[in-house]
Amino acid sequence: MVSNDLLKGTLKTIVLKLLEEKGRMYGYEITQEVERLTQGKIQLTWGALYPTLHKLEAVHLITAEEVSIGKRVRKYYTLTESGTKTAKEKVQEFLDFVTIMGQILNPKPSLNLG
Amino acid sequence: MAELTEKEIRKLNREIEKQGLTYTELQQELLDHLCCDVEAEMEEGLEFVRALEKVRGKIGKDRIQQIQEETLLLINQKYRIMKKFMYILGMIAPSMLITGTIFKIQHWPGAGVLLTLSLFILGAIYLPVFVMVKIRDTRKKGKQVNMPMYIFGLIAGIIFIAGAMFKIQHWPGANIMIILSGIVTVFVFIPILVIQALKDKENQVQNFTILIFVLSFVAITFMIYALRVSKNVLTAFTVAAEGHINSTEIVEARNKGYLDQIELADPDSEAIILKAKEITARTDALDDYIQDMIVEIVVKSHPDNLAAVDSEGNILLEKVSSKDMVGSVEVVIFGDEGIPGKGKELKGKIDEYRDFLAKMADPELAVMIEKLLDTSPRGEAPLPWEEYCFRQTPMMAAVNLLTNIQTNFRIAEGEVLSQLLHGQLVEVGE
Repeated sequence: MVSNDLLKGTLKTIVLKLLEEKGRMYGYEITQEVERLTQGKIQLTWGALYPTLHKLEAVHLITAEEVSIGKRVRKYYTLTESGTKTAKEKVQEFLDFVTIMGQILNPKPSLNLG
Repeated sequence: MAELTEKEIRKLNREIEKQGLTYTELQQELLDHLCCDVEAEMEEGLEFVRALEKVRGKIGKDRIQQIQEETLLLINQKYRIMKKFMYILGMIAPSMLITGTIFKIQHWPGAGVLLTLSLFILGAIYLPVFVMVKIRDTRKKGKQVNMPMYIFGLIAGIIFIAGAMFKIQHWPGANIMIILSGIVTVFVFIPILVIQALKDKENQVQNFTILIFVLSFVAITFMIYALRVSKNVLTAFTVAAEGHINSTEIVEARNKGYLDQIELADPDSEAIILKAKEITARTDALDDYIQDMIVEIVVKSHPDNLAAVDSEGNILLEKVSSKDMVGSVEVVIFGDEGIPGKGKELKGKIDEYRDFLAKMADPELAVMIEKLLDTSPRGEAPLPWEEYCFRQTPMMAAVNLLTNIQTNFRIAEGEVLSQLLHGQLVEVGE
């Protein structure tokens, strides 16, 4: 399991990346997809996911569309134009971050043994 | 895939509502999520009730409310502050308006400030914020915003409130503003509103109610204007007042003649000359007092009326505007916001003068003077003289009354002087 503390800063990136790949998703689908991709190591809670989705919608990185599913309403999210751009930036930023973290956490054995 | 029945969905919805979720968009979304969870469990072979038990942990006591709060906080903090602000103002402004009106009626100090401030809050803050919130709400629901309706409604509302504010403060231009807002409302806003009410099926009741209120409001405003004193009546008052002024002038000239004659006729009878001079001096003083009062009322009715007053305090009544103004008479006679009215003082001065003259006149003339300058209570249910004459009286009617009093003073003065001249003086106290 990945701790919530670590997840916090990256949730936006995760949502944007998933939407970029899948095009159109709803809340439950996003949690399932994250669980599937991480073999259950990351479990998104409601409390983390929905505020993030609404925040992204408020700043127009994603748009929502309500679709009637049987007896209930389902809200699908898609990336906007600026959302697509931001998704790419965020992913690149995060990959860079991982690389940098790697340099700190697994320093290459120094050749200079002197 | 197991699909939930309507009844089961309703049950889940109740579970969510129980936790105090009020933000509907989030509610629908969480309901869908919960349904998916339950369906997934049922797919594994569980019954609905069992499946619900299993996912209930997710619904958790404070969880949902917390999500809602976090969500709302994240997405629209500014908007929510604006809305709260709007509600607070929406409560403050009308209470201030009502308090101000009561103060105004009672002529207590602070009425003007309260009314102006509350109207300013309504027009300059509440109305624009309301329109902004309404537009946002409509957009949020994914519906088209009827921009012309909001814009023209806002314009008409702001002009009307500004007009009311100007009217209360007696600033020039108030009537034009109120008429203009009426025109915008009748010819632009109401047609747009009617079309909107016909088009928008969902908010039909709401739009219809707004329409009815706007129409009633316009009708009442027009009625108030229609109820104003008609021009013919005001013209009649003006002509009558001018008549009084002319009469006064003639009687005044005649009285001057009497005084000269008294002095010429018998230069030795100093007592009579002194008496005559006292009568003239007191009459002049009262005449000036009333003239000042007339000027005050006329100028208070409309600032431009100052142009109709010459340096000696004479007024060209033809040039006077706002002849139907009631407020100015009320303020001068009955006082306003702690400033005492002059009605009682006026009555006192008339009484004093009448008694003074009556004492000098012979009994027959004394009775006539008592009648001419009578200030006893009048009306079916007797009212004090000043209430009977000046309460809710249009400006020109009050001016007419006051000029009439001036004429009566001069007539009474003349009669007593003429008596003195003919040596028929009843020496009082001798």
